[in-house]
Amino acid sequence: MKVSRGFIAAMLLPASLLYLVFFLFPTAQTLYFSFFDFSGLGNDKVFIGLDNFAELVGDDLFLLSMRNTIIILLFGGLLIFALAFMFTALLNSDVRGRRIFRAIIFIPNVIATIALTTLWSYIYNPRFGLLNNALTQLGFEELGKTTWTEPDKIFWAMLVALIWIFVGFYMVLLLAGTDKIPIEYYEAAKLDGASQVQMFFRITVPMLWDVITVAVVMWSIAALKIFEFPFAFTSLEPVPETYTSAVYLYVMGFGQRTPIYRLGYASAIGVWMLITVIIVIVFLRRALTREAVQY
Amino acid sequence: MHKKYWMLLVIGLLFASLLVACGGTAPAPVADAPAEVAEPAEVEAPAEPAEVEAPAEPAEVEAPAEPAEVEAPAEAAEGPVELTYWSMWNENEAQAQVIQSWIEAFEAEHPNISIDAVWNGRQNQTLVRTALESGTKIDFVDQDADPLAGGLMSEGQGYPLDDLLDMPALDEDMPLRDVFTPSVLELFAGQDGTIYQIPYVYNTVQFWYNKGLFEEVGVEPPTTWEEFLAVNDAILEAGYAPLAVESDIAFYQIDFLTYYVARAKGPGFLKAAVEDKTGEMWNDPIFLEAAQATRELWDRGHIPAESVGFLWPAGQQTLGFGESAMELVGSWLPIELADIVEEDFEWGAFNFPTVEGGIGSQDDMQAVLLAFMILNDSENPEEAFEFLRFIMTKENMQQMADAALVGVTREGVQWADAIADGAEAAANANTVMGLSDGAVALYPEFVNNILYVNWRGLFLGELTPEEFVATMAADAADYWAN
Repeated sequence: MKVSRGFIAAMLLPASLLYLVFFLFPTAQTLYFSFFDFSGLGNDKVFIGLDNFAELVGDDLFLLSMRNTIIILLFGGLLIFALAFMFTALLNSDVRGRRIFRAIIFIPNVIATIALTTLWSYIYNPRFGLLNNALTQLGFEELGKTTWTEPDKIFWAMLVALIWIFVGFYMVLLLAGTDKIPIEYYEAAKLDGASQVQMFFRITVPMLWDVITVAVVMWSIAALKIFEFPFAFTSLEPVPETYTSAVYLYVMGFGQRTPIYRLGYASAIGVWMLITVIIVIVFLRRALTREAVQY
Repeated sequence: MHKKYWMLLVIGLLFASLLVACGGTAPAPVADAPAEVAEPAEVEAPAEPAEVEAPAEPAEVEAPAEPAEVEAPAEAAEGPVELTYWSMWNENEAQAQVIQSWIEAFEAEHPNISIDAVWNGRQNQTLVRTALESGTKIDFVDQDADPLAGGLMSEGQGYPLDDLLDMPALDEDMPLRDVFTPSVLELFAGQDGTIYQIPYVYNTVQFWYNKGLFEEVGVEPPTTWEEFLAVNDAILEAGYAPLAVESDIAFYQIDFLTYYVARAKGPGFLKAAVEDKTGEMWNDPIFLEAAQATRELWDRGHIPAESVGFLWPAGQQTLGFGESAMELVGSWLPIELADIVEEDFEWGAFNFPTVEGGIGSQDDMQAVLLAFMILNDSENPEEAFEFLRFIMTKENMQQMADAALVGVTREGVQWADAIADGAEAAANANTVMGLSDGAVALYPEFVNNILYVNWRGLFLGELTPEEFVATMAADAADYWAN
């Protein structure tokens, strides 16, 4: 059946309009605001050209937030995918209770962020926290006296929590991919005397490459705009040590308890984030593109 | 060709969206730049303790449109009037329930006026701002008075209330402006003295302490810094932590600096330092002294070392569990800990002690007020004000004090037993200061990104007192230069 171009255009129109209204228009507006000194109230805008972007370069808090975001993206991502692959490999072996383990590891993804931050603040509590008590019980008494949420450790404490949350999601993605790999490949490899490690790197990873590419791109986007957990991790207000770019954007543009209300500057942060996402995604798409593997 | 048409269409739509973004109505007045401080003169403490002074310099506010001539609301409201109120409370909170009961009682008395309340919670002002941008009609809002002054009010969104405040109170033969606890109404007035906010909840910032624990140790609330250190030593010796603190709340931590400087130099000095465009004022010896005195509390064990990692509410819970003795915080603490303290737990509060050679009075008070504000674009400001006049009766204020266990801004209303010391301190206050000596309302970005960050660094031991002073001087100069 031949479908007319008019029909195709009509079918695409609603989605295109939604995309235009809810993505392209706000993006263009953000870019526009980033050239102004603008509080976000009324039309009291002063055109300042690229001054907001120039200010970003010398803004210590912005640089700190970028550093944190990049660490979450790279270091956090590395650990998340390492753990996700490890769990994928374990759950693809003949381990019993595969579904239960999968559900347990995925659970953080279905719990409200605010509940997760509360949970982790109790885990890290210096006085009666689960972590320090466990360490003490295991005989690591000195380590059990660590204050994990003091300024020079709190970011890393938060990163551990983030890894714990996201591992389940990417593990499920990878597991869904591995489910589609024909079992015959593994049986043939076994007959040829391949080890589990060899099968993982010679069969699983190549056959999963498309899934891995999508997962890495998804993680990169999520990491670069991560907001909820860092914002809520310290209850009443985020502390600079846990600022991410998105948190700092919110603080500058929308205020927490102090009404800074620099929407123009916050828009510049948003534009910077958008550019970063585009660069990272283009880089990843090029770096991860491979020919499809078929056996 | 078709491809070209599609490209043209997409480009056209993008341009259209840009044009829409550029469009708008006539520009509002430009905000005034913060006033320069030529000479950061010392602020003297009031001579007469009973005298009430308007404290920090009033907030700068954009000039709003000329208010309409004030008419008696009953005459103004001929037809049905619908008011929209956006609230800082969540619907299930005691304060929200009291306000809802006020609304119902008010509507019963004024059948032609209805009030639609939107319970937004603490991010109210942020939501209001976004809503106003999208054209939503809101008549009045409430929020912490400091951020409200630094936010919507400084953007010219407040409706001037001076004429309306001359109307008589509903339950006393005096102008409404005279029923408020002295100086709270003027605390966040605009630079020209215009009043935009109606404060209704009054939180006092003091050392809130466990009376039973003080009795057990045999100590009395101190009045001087030396006595304070001695009391802390005694408590520590008895096996308790003298002070509870949170590591993640900068606006609690800064109270040590605010009060220490106010006691030494008088209210207004810290604000003057914030306003000093050269940053030189931060080299005044008082800031080094305040930083050293605060660090000494950690060094002597008055603040337990583990507190460096306490995420709220971990610190205050130690007070609730009877492990620590006191916390420098607002009078909301007894309510927050109501569920975990023993039934016979007795709350007390004392003001920040005086410091040697200081000119500030121990009665000077930092208050955290919650306030209503009628928005400048309200179509029915007189009716909205009539509601605010209604809530300020003694009966209604008492209802708030009883049900929500908070302090209120109406004189002659009894506060709950747990915060009775707060009521006494509020009544005796010589000078009332806003948050961080009023700097939060005037210079929120400086406070949040420089003062809080550096003081937190000092407070938690990341900066030495000397580094704190040097960093503040450099950062302040940089901030104002840019």
